Amino acid sequence: MISERLKKTILETLEIDNFDIQPESTADQVPGWDSLSHINVILAIEKEFNVRFKGVEVMKLKNIGDLQNLVDLKLSN
Amino acid sequence: MNTNENCVTLWQKWNSHAINTPEKDAVIHWITGEEPGRWTFKSIIEQAEHFASFLLDAGIKKDEVCAIIIRHNYYLYPIYMAVESIGAIPAILAYPNSRLHPDKFRQGIEGMSQRSGLDYILTEREIDPLISPLIHSHNSTIKAVHYPHEWLNSPKPIENIKEKISEIQAELSSNDAALLQHSSGTTGLQKPVLLSHKAVLEHIENYSKAIELKPDDKIISWLPLYHDMGLIAAFHLPLASGITTLQIDPFEWVMAPAILLDAVSKEKGTLTWLPNFAYNVLADKIHEDELEDVSLDSLRLIINCSEPVRSESHDRFYSRFSSYGIKREALSTCYAMAETTYAVSQSKPGSPVVNLSINRLEFSKGRIEISDNDSASKTYVSSGAPIDGCQVRIFNDFGFELDEGNVGEIVIRSVSMFDGYRNYPEKTAEVLKSGWYFSGDYGFLYEGNLYVIGRKKDIIIVAGNNLYPEDIEDVVAQVPGIIPGRVVAFGEEDMSLGSEQVSIIAETAVSVERELKTLKMEIIKAAMQIDVSIRKVYLAPARWLIKSSAGKPSRKANKERIISGETENIWS
Repeated sequence: MISERLKKTILETLEIDNFDIQPESTADQVPGWDSLSHINVILAIEKEFNVRFKGVEVMKLKNIGDLQNLVDLKLSN
Repeated sequence: MNTNENCVTLWQKWNSHAINTPEKDAVIHWITGEEPGRWTFKSIIEQAEHFASFLLDAGIKKDEVCAIIIRHNYYLYPIYMAVESIGAIPAILAYPNSRLHPDKFRQGIEGMSQRSGLDYILTEREIDPLISPLIHSHNSTIKAVHYPHEWLNSPKPIENIKEKISEIQAELSSNDAALLQHSSGTTGLQKPVLLSHKAVLEHIENYSKAIELKPDDKIISWLPLYHDMGLIAAFHLPLASGITTLQIDPFEWVMAPAILLDAVSKEKGTLTWLPNFAYNVLADKIHEDELEDVSLDSLRLIINCSEPVRSESHDRFYSRFSSYGIKREALSTCYAMAETTYAVSQSKPGSPVVNLSINRLEFSKGRIEISDNDSASKTYVSSGAPIDGCQVRIFNDFGFELDEGNVGEIVIRSVSMFDGYRNYPEKTAEVLKSGWYFSGDYGFLYEGNLYVIGRKKDIIIVAGNNLYPEDIEDVVAQVPGIIPGRVVAFGEEDMSLGSEQVSIIAETAVSVERELKTLKMEIIKAAMQIDVSIRKVYLAPARWLIKSSAGKPSRKANKERIISGETENIWS
């Protein structure tokens, strides 16, 4: 389940109004989420949740569900 | 044994390094969080020979084109070299991402196969469902698809492969084709540029002089090898020169840009090439704690190339990294294109790049006048002087050469010039006239330096990739709700990115907010099918777009209306 807060952060960064994001959705299925905007999305999530990702953690993410899990993990630590 | 001096092919050059400096690192494949994979000159040649035995066994012959559609992984390099070893012609193509529609991908490869004459595809099993239908397509020239990674653990089918390669190499001449690279375009419009061994090796010699290449230089690159900057500057140049190149998968760099700096620091890299947007990304998007223990003082040249150079990007980069050891004079520039193998001009190593402050009013009339009035001027960054073997002239639209200080089309003659686009005589005739290549770029010469302003045509340059607006307009025009034929795509400057982004203006009869939002999303999704990201969508009522004299919506005029703020009746 992708939280509304994470979804809102992603969509606002990409400047799109609405898009159905599921845990199995991948970045390249989301309109506007490409190699150039990727870093902006990651930085926006870090800022919103006050967390820090390591490069290697971001590289291992296979889909947005993994991203949600990573955010949850960081928040629980 | 080949001495380095009488090598006439790329393979002969590489092999001479394997003999003379066998244990020197040739390619370091950098993987974040893991030990890097290291190919020495000896081990990479041996691995290439292993692959070559399978290629020969598969019946691949001299001058046949092998498209390589493989991710930027550890074995990509020896696979490429194996194709060279048997006199066949390698052409690295972009590995498809899942965003690209399978039909669009296949159409692109089919178009390319007819134009470029692709004979074989070397790829990965994972994309077999996407690739294998191409063999049976009636439009395709592709004879077979092979999966080189599956040959890794099998014994060589040809035992005396070294001798076989020597026999093939002995028959090759410097004028034989060495490689095929594709010049710009998104889907079917890519132009195949065939280069000989002579063109590539002479270019490497001339460009090495321009950047004062030294035996202990080490190149650090995250650039894709399907792009001329990655392929020639960061791969062929070091391999032919016997120096080390460190390669980072472009997808990894995008995920974590700081890995480039980490690699420079750990491996003491001395040279890197970057498109302009990467300066902004590195300067603005990296946390300070990612730079702990990072030292960049080994970098003697950071060469900005493949999209217009912005002085603000250099300033941001220097400001962020000077305390990590970056020197102002390390910020360097280059102007390059696939048609001349790679570089046309290069700024002088060890000297700061020349910035010119130009009077805007005079500039609008096509003349260069230096200005010290900031508010009335614009700064242009020099791309340096033409390298050895290259001549540059500036022509006006009527075909007359212009003196220094006047703006016109950049026209080039080079010893490393292509002979024309492969199987594309009409396009060749448009750009190649009496041995001079008409680049389609606007610029000017001033005190011996070349300044590049932008494209004469409407090509959009996003992060170093050239996109044709007509490709984008074609797919957007098919979105229901768009008035047929009433779409223009153009590049809009994104100052924070240091590059252009794609914008669309489309006419529609829709006027309800909710439907406009849906239409915008459908337009963005349509462009995703050809792997293009649209950043801004401007929806206009019928008859908003200005037409050109040819009766089609004018990209230039309509872009200017949007940029100047003429957005009444526009929804965005």
